[in-house]
Amino acid sequence: MEFLEFLVFFSSLILLTLGAALSFKTNKGALLICLVALLIILPMSKLNPYVAFVIVIAILNLISLEILKHNQIKGVDYALVALMAIATIFVIYTRDLVLVLATFVLVSVPTYVLIMISDKKANVDTGIKYITFMVIATVLFLIGAVLLIYAHSNHISNLYIIGYIMFILGLCLEIGCAPLHEWVPDVFTSADSIPLSIIASLAKIIPFIVAYKILITTTFNPLTASISIFVALIAAISMFIGNIGALTAKELSRVLAYSTVANMGYILATLVVFVNVEYVYLALTGALLQLFVNSYGKIGFFTSIKEGGASKPLMYMLALSFIGLPPLMGFWSKLFILSSLVYVGYIWLAVILVINAAISVPYYLRLASELSISPKVSLANFIALIAVIITLITILPPNWFMEAMKTLI
Amino acid sequence: MSELMSLLLALLFFVPILSSVPIAFAWVYRREEPWVKKLPILSVIGLFISLVIALYIKFYVPDGPHVINWLPDLNINFVFIFDYLSKNMGVLTALIAFLIGVYGLEYMKDDYRLGWYWFFFNLFTASMLLVVYSDNLLMLLIGWEGLGLASWGLIGHWFRDDDDISFVGMKDRKILGLSLHWSPSFGGWRAISTIRVGDMPMFFAIAAIFALTSALGTPNLNISEIPWQELFKYIGSAGTIILLIALMIGPFTKSAQLPFSEWLMTAMTGPTTVSALLHSATMVAAGTYIFMRLSWYIKPWDMHAAPGLETVYLVVLFLGLISALYGALVAVGCRERKVLLAASTMSSLGLMFGAAAASFWVGEIGVSVAFWYLMVHAFAKATLFLVAGHLIHVTHNRFCVGDKEVAKKLKVTYYVTIFATITLAGIPPLTAFWVKSGMDEVMHTLIEEGMLAPLVLLLITSVIYAAFLAKFLSLNFIKGEKAHLSLHGGKIMATAYTVMVSMLIVLLMYVILSHGHVESELIHMGLERNSMIVGLVVIVSYSFAIFKPSIKALYSVGTFLGDRMYMAFLNDFIVPKIGWAIAIVVDYGNRSIDYSCHKAIPSLFEVSSHNIRSIQSGYLKRYMKIVLGLVMVILVAISIIGM
Repeated sequence: MEFLEFLVFFSSLILLTLGAALSFKTNKGALLICLVALLIILPMSKLNPYVAFVIVIAILNLISLEILKHNQIKGVDYALVALMAIATIFVIYTRDLVLVLATFVLVSVPTYVLIMISDKKANVDTGIKYITFMVIATVLFLIGAVLLIYAHSNHISNLYIIGYIMFILGLCLEIGCAPLHEWVPDVFTSADSIPLSIIASLAKIIPFIVAYKILITTTFNPLTASISIFVALIAAISMFIGNIGALTAKELSRVLAYSTVANMGYILATLVVFVNVEYVYLALTGALLQLFVNSYGKIGFFTSIKEGGASKPLMYMLALSFIGLPPLMGFWSKLFILSSLVYVGYIWLAVILVINAAISVPYYLRLASELSISPKVSLANFIALIAVIITLITILPPNWFMEAMKTLI
Repeated sequence: MSELMSLLLALLFFVPILSSVPIAFAWVYRREEPWVKKLPILSVIGLFISLVIALYIKFYVPDGPHVINWLPDLNINFVFIFDYLSKNMGVLTALIAFLIGVYGLEYMKDDYRLGWYWFFFNLFTASMLLVVYSDNLLMLLIGWEGLGLASWGLIGHWFRDDDDISFVGMKDRKILGLSLHWSPSFGGWRAISTIRVGDMPMFFAIAAIFALTSALGTPNLNISEIPWQELFKYIGSAGTIILLIALMIGPFTKSAQLPFSEWLMTAMTGPTTVSALLHSATMVAAGTYIFMRLSWYIKPWDMHAAPGLETVYLVVLFLGLISALYGALVAVGCRERKVLLAASTMSSLGLMFGAAAASFWVGEIGVSVAFWYLMVHAFAKATLFLVAGHLIHVTHNRFCVGDKEVAKKLKVTYYVTIFATITLAGIPPLTAFWVKSGMDEVMHTLIEEGMLAPLVLLLITSVIYAAFLAKFLSLNFIKGEKAHLSLHGGKIMATAYTVMVSMLIVLLMYVILSHGHVESELIHMGLERNSMIVGLVVIVSYSFAIFKPSIKALYSVGTFLGDRMYMAFLNDFIVPKIGWAIAIVVDYGNRSIDYSCHKAIPSLFEVSSHNIRSIQSGYLKRYMKIVLGLVMVILVAISIIGM
């Protein structure tokens, strides 16, 4: 890491600490300082699209917290969200295993607190459920990662397989892939929508980045080729469980919970690309775009649920982006994922993905129509508008994003 | 020069269509204005321009193809061919269409749908000209489909079905519950539906030729350029038979050969001018013309080694001759003027197919004789139809009625009919005699190949043919029932068919005076002893039928023949049954799709969706059991597999 980068990250961390401290005096000031802490990273990154997307997600999360003004940790929540964002950005600038794993924990832990906040009573039950799963997930993930690296450097194939499986299981548990998704529908229906919008967006990015980082350094051909079928199976199960489960769910946040399961399935599917390292850039592009689609969509939908709905065109645009209609971002993400799957020979998985995209159409449209209300000025509308604008960015075919990803690898 | 030629060809095809556009629109929007009634003249002028261009092509354009590029990469271009067949056929088509157009000016003047009539009439002519001059099969298809469309429009022209004069068959006549009485709208539908049945295999055959020639080198759809010999060798015996028969199904249906003949009989529901055009130079002639043109360039007589080719020609030979006999027999039994003539057309077309198919054994002369017969038949049949139309106008009856009074009042019509019938019957020394002699000789040659049946079939057909022509003459002018005549006008009509019939004399002069190879061959063959004997038999048959046009003792046989041997059951009973069977299968298919889309798949998703969510009991303990259990099971399983 260069000195400049170190300096920027360090100073933004100092700012965050200041912001958290300042929140005892003034909320507005805390929010402002957190925003500044995020924005100073942007010029340092030379406008890297990944960094920009993450910062916009974080800013939308910060703004959405305004709806939840009277929560139990008011003021500190800004700093927690900003910290997650900084960790999510920091991870691409480091090659140190310990730091990479640390960022994973750094994003995971704030959510333990955030999940419980509410403008009414703290959701302790939900929090316990969530934390229990997260702890198991983190343990599996970290042990798996360490085993992977150890087995890779010492060429112990049995250990490598065990490590790989633990690593993937931990990842699935963390992000909520079926069949380890049990916590997702419960937590999503009982917790408050605003912290959920953070957990469903910002917190989902880093597990995948870490997974890519670890897997790319420990690729163990031909072992990866045979073991990646495990990932493919989980991805397929997750897509089906998520999409079919969402079809007839009545509660909107439950629909979003199963939609998250399905989306995580799409993204997990890209991990089979390590069969042929040549196409990792394609898979990473698809995975990240899908993560952004998921994040912006979830932020827009969850804040709308909190505020009782939002303007019709905005809701439909987000739904169509999820469905994957060109030229919205959801189309490009699926296109990149599909082409990476086809290039590495997982054609059946690509077919399953397309089938699932079709299955998802009814419930996304239902979601959009149920959330549509007559236009009015509201924070939810503003957030949804920003989200729609971002998903429309890919009217320019996102080759630019792919190029950025290539340099990242 | 080439550009001039392209321009002329464009005029040839488009002028008739464009010249009928004014009446087509004016009739819809300005029907009441007096000038609209004059617009048909413009349409006829368009036909005349086509005729002039066709004549120019015949006399001043050298033989060979004319290419206008369209998709040169695929070798799909507008290719026109000028040769013996197309030059003569083009003039024939344009001339007959023009004369019938003139006749139609008077015949159709009080009609309720003039715009429709003239547009489709001219489209019909233009389509036929396109078929005639096309060398490219794909382009030929455009004209071919134009013929089909226009025939539907014209046969069903009197779509109101309100006048029995335009029907075919007898009112209230039923056999086994099947009504033998067909309306114009039904006739139009029958025509297009039958023709489509034939067109489909033809499409596939043309596509197959494109694909096969691509496989052999360059894709080629130009009849005169396709490497037929290599093609037949490449696809073998079965392939050749399937390909050529599929290709020929189109001409068979268009030329109303068995078992596709019914549509031609009910096509008589159209205006008589339409019947005249349909039965002489367009539509039905298109089928035989295509076969002649194919044979002209396939040169089957040089290709006896080609596998399967003989089978194909044998099929066409016998199909044609049997259809000829069937048509002649039906005509003998028929009492309706136009249906009688329609059946006779079918018979003639069968003879053309037969003679052209005989070329496999006898050489190019078979095709030439068939083509000459086409020309003679076209003028004679057009004349007879125009006469029939005039008679229907005068007597207001579509059945054969009329005694000597008709002959007295309509002298010109009477003489024209006599001349047309004796010419077409093949009475020496008139035109058809020479051509029929050629046919006799051709079939006679087949005896050397061990086939006696073709000659026998031809002779029987010729005798019957002469008989029913005489019957037509006799029942309408001499020995028919007394008819009530309403004479007025008719000058233009009479002029038109007089000119038409005089063309037979032109053809006769051409046969006698020309020193062309084909013509002198015809004269030579007509002077053979066998031909003379046949000529005498035909005279006897003709004279007998004049004096005894209907025989009471044979009434039931006549009815059987006049009912067309109940071929209508195939079209109106058996085929609909097949259609219903298909409809039932499709209905079951639809229902199963409906069931799976509206019931099965949704409930499947509903049930699985509920099941997926049913594990969410809300108890952390249960979840932990599931998750930890799964993780342990997977790890143990992987460890076992990994070992």
